[in-house]
Amino acid sequence: MIRNRNRVCGVEEIKAKRRQHERALRKARKEKQLVSKRLPRGLQGDGEDVEIRETSVTQEEIFQLYQRIQRGSDDRLAALCSLRRVLHLKEAQQIFVRFENSIRVLNGLFTSNLASVQLQAAQCLLKLSHSDDPSISLVCLPATPYLLTYLSGQSAKFTELCLYILGNLAAENEAVRSQLLVQGVIQALSVCLQSPHGAVVEATAYLLSQMLQAKEAGEKIILAVLEASLTPRLIRLLDLDSEFGMQTTVECAWCLHYIVSSGVSSECMISQGLISQAVKLLIALGRTVDSGTTDGVELLIYPVARCLGNLIASDEQLWCKRQFHDSDLLQALSVFLRGFLQSRPFVTRECLWLLNNLSAGDRQFCSAILCHNLVPVFLQLIPFSGGINTLVLMLLGNVAELGLEYCEKLQQQTGLFPALCSTLSTADPEAARMTLEVLNLIFSYCQQACARFANQNGILALEMVQYHSNDEVRVRANFLMDRYFADQDV
Amino acid sequence: MRSDEAAGRPAEQAHWAAGRCALGCCRWWEETGVSPSRPDPVRPGLVVLEPAVACAEGGGDGAARESELGPSPFTFRSRRIFLQKEDEFFEDGDVHRHLYLQNSITSVGEVERPKVSEFCCQIAGCSQLFDALENYEHHYNTFHRNVCSSCKRSFPSSHLLDIHILEWHDSFFQILAAKQNMYLCLVESCTEKFKAFSDRKKHMIKVHGYPSDFRFDKPKKPKCNQKNQSSHDIEMETSSCQKEANDTSCRTSTESMDYAPAETMEADSPSMSEEKSSIPKVQQRPSFSYKVPTTICFGHGSVRGFKNARKKK
Repeated sequence: MIRNRNRVCGVEEIKAKRRQHERALRKARKEKQLVSKRLPRGLQGDGEDVEIRETSVTQEEIFQLYQRIQRGSDDRLAALCSLRRVLHLKEAQQIFVRFENSIRVLNGLFTSNLASVQLQAAQCLLKLSHSDDPSISLVCLPATPYLLTYLSGQSAKFTELCLYILGNLAAENEAVRSQLLVQGVIQALSVCLQSPHGAVVEATAYLLSQMLQAKEAGEKIILAVLEASLTPRLIRLLDLDSEFGMQTTVECAWCLHYIVSSGVSSECMISQGLISQAVKLLIALGRTVDSGTTDGVELLIYPVARCLGNLIASDEQLWCKRQFHDSDLLQALSVFLRGFLQSRPFVTRECLWLLNNLSAGDRQFCSAILCHNLVPVFLQLIPFSGGINTLVLMLLGNVAELGLEYCEKLQQQTGLFPALCSTLSTADPEAARMTLEVLNLIFSYCQQACARFANQNGILALEMVQYHSNDEVRVRANFLMDRYFADQDV
Repeated sequence: MRSDEAAGRPAEQAHWAAGRCALGCCRWWEETGVSPSRPDPVRPGLVVLEPAVACAEGGGDGAARESELGPSPFTFRSRRIFLQKEDEFFEDGDVHRHLYLQNSITSVGEVERPKVSEFCCQIAGCSQLFDALENYEHHYNTFHRNVCSSCKRSFPSSHLLDIHILEWHDSFFQILAAKQNMYLCLVESCTEKFKAFSDRKKHMIKVHGYPSDFRFDKPKKPKCNQKNQSSHDIEMETSSCQKEANDTSCRTSTESMDYAPAETMEADSPSMSEEKSSIPKVQQRPSFSYKVPTTICFGHGSVRGFKNARKKK
C-alpha cells in the first residue's frame, strides 16, 4: 500500500486522471505509437509493506547520495536504497543522470558481485528504464549485454528485474530492438520461458509482447520467434490450470495475438494446437465468469478471442475438422456477451466478431446457435450501437443465409421481428441496411415470415425507412415493400 | 470481391482495404481489387475472406417478379473477417490492455456503459432524434402518416385524410355535392352524409358534441399550385417551403410542439415552427382566395400520403 505523504487523492480525481490517461492512449494508438512500459508493483519495494513515497527532492540530496555510493564503503548499500526510493521522481532522474559518470557507476554496481548491491542497482535501472523521456531511459542501453547474460542466472527475482528493464527498453524504438535481437534476446527468452517461476515467465512473455507488438515485428521479429520454437511453449501456457497465475497466461495470449494477427503463419500455429487450446481456455473462462468471478478475467478473454477469431478467418479447412463440441464454446461466449455488456462492452463486441467468424457459412455452428437458444441472447444486444447491433445482425444473417430450415426456426423466435423493426429505425444507416439484408434472406426463404412480420407492426417500420436519407437503405426498403407487401393495405 | 469471382481462384488472395474497420458502427469494407502480384504494403499478411454461401434467392414467385422489380439490391454474404492488430476495431481492447500495463486499472467503479442506439426520423427536413422506438413511432404516426400528397397536410387518421382529399382535391366532388349529400360525418362510425359543409358542422356539434372550432373540420382552403408527383417518385422533397407573407388567405399552423394527435395534426413539423409566427390567423372563409401562392407548405414532414401512393390516385 503506497501512501502519498503530502496529498490525498479523491475518487473523482482518480477518475478524471484515468479518463485523461485513456484519451492519451487512444491518441497514441491512432498515431501508431501505443507502447507502454511496466513497473510491476511487486517489484518496487524491497520487502517492506509500506513504502513512503517522496514527492520532491533537491539536487543537493541526490548529490550526497551519489557521493556516498561512489565512496564504496559500507554506507554504499544504504545510499543506493535511498536513491532507489527517490528515482521514481522525474526531477531525481534528470538530476542523477546528469552527474558525471553516474551511469557508468550505476552500471558498474549492476555488475557487482555483491547480490544485495546488484539488486538495488537493478531496481534503479528499472526506474530509469520506465521513464517516458528517452534521454533518461536510454541511459540503460549500455547495460543490455549484461542484462541478457544475467537472464540465464539463478536468482528469480533478479532475472525478473532484468526482464522488465529489457521490456521497457524494447518499447523505446526500433534501434533498441534491433540491438537486442543482435545480442541474442530471442534465444535468451527461450530459456526464460522454461523457468519454473511464474513471475519470470510472466516477465518473459511481457518482454516478448513488447517485441512482437512493434511495427517492424512482421518483417523481422516474428520469424525469429517462430524459428526459435517459442510458440509451442506459449501455446501450452494458455491454460488456466497451469501452475502459474492468470497474469502469466495474459502475457502469453498477447504474444500469440500479435503473431496470429500478423498473418505470417497460421498453419504453423494451428498445427501446434493453438485452436484447441484457445477453445479450451475460453470454455474454462466461461465457467469462471458464470460462477461469479468477473474481476480482471476479461484481460484474458479478449486476447484469446482475437487469436481464435483470426485463426478461423485464416484457415477455414482446418477449422472445419474441429474436434470439440460447439455447444460448450457457445455457452462460454454467451456468458461473456451478457456478463461484460454493461461494464466492458468492447468484450461483448469482440466476442460477437468471433461468433461471426465461427458461424459464417457453418451449418453445424448455426444449428448449435438455434438449438441452444442463443438467438434471444443476441436479441438482447440489439438496442446497443457502437458496432454491437450491426454484428448481431451479421450473425442473424449468417444463420438466415443457410436456407429454409434455418429461416423457419429464426422467424419463430418471439422478439425477432420487433428487434428488427427497432434496428430498422435506428440512426445508424449501416444497422438499417443490415436489417433489410436479414429480412430479405428470411422473406425469400420463408413466405410465412412475411405474414408474421406484418402482424408485428413490421410494415410500418418498413414504411418508415422507405424515405431514408441513405440510398442503400431506401433502395432495399422499397424493394422489400414492393416484392413482399405490395398488396398489403397499410 | 463477389463470390463468383472468388470461387474459381482459391489461391488468390483478396486484398481488402478498409476505409474503416468492417465492424463497428457505420463502417464497411471497401474492396480494392484482387491481385496477388500486387501485395498491399500496408497489410503484408495474408487476408483471406471467402464468402461462405451464395445469396439466397428463394421464394415461389421470386423469379417472375424479379424482372419487374429489377435486380436485387441485396449484397450480404456471410464471411469470416480477419483483423490486423492495428485495426480500429481493437482500439478499446488495446487501450484497456495498456491501462493494465501501466497499473491504471482500478476498481474504483470505472465501468463503461455500452452506447444505446438512437432513433432518427428519416423524413427529409425532420431529423428529430428519439431515444426510444415507441417515441419515434408515435412521432412518425403523428406527423408523417396520413399525409395528403397534394397539400402535405397530415391527419391523425386515414378516415380524415380520405375526407380531406375528397373535399379538397377531388374535382368531381363539388359537382356531385350539388346533386347529393356528399359531406361525410367526420366520426368514422357515423354514416351520415350532408349536403353542405355547414350542415355537417352542425351535426358534429349537436350529435357528437364536437367543438365549433374542431381543427380537422376546416373549409376547403384556396387553390394553390401543386407540384405534380409521380407515384413512384422516390426522391424526397425537402420540406423547406417558403410561406408567402402576403398570402393572407393561407391558413396558419399551430405552434404547438407536443405530440398529442388532436393538438398537433395539421401542424407543421417542428422544423418549420419558427416560420409560423409571421402567418396570419386562419380565416374561416369557405371561399377561394384571390391570391394564389406559388408553393404550398403546410403539414410538413412527409412527401406524400401513403394511403394514396399507388392505389387510389
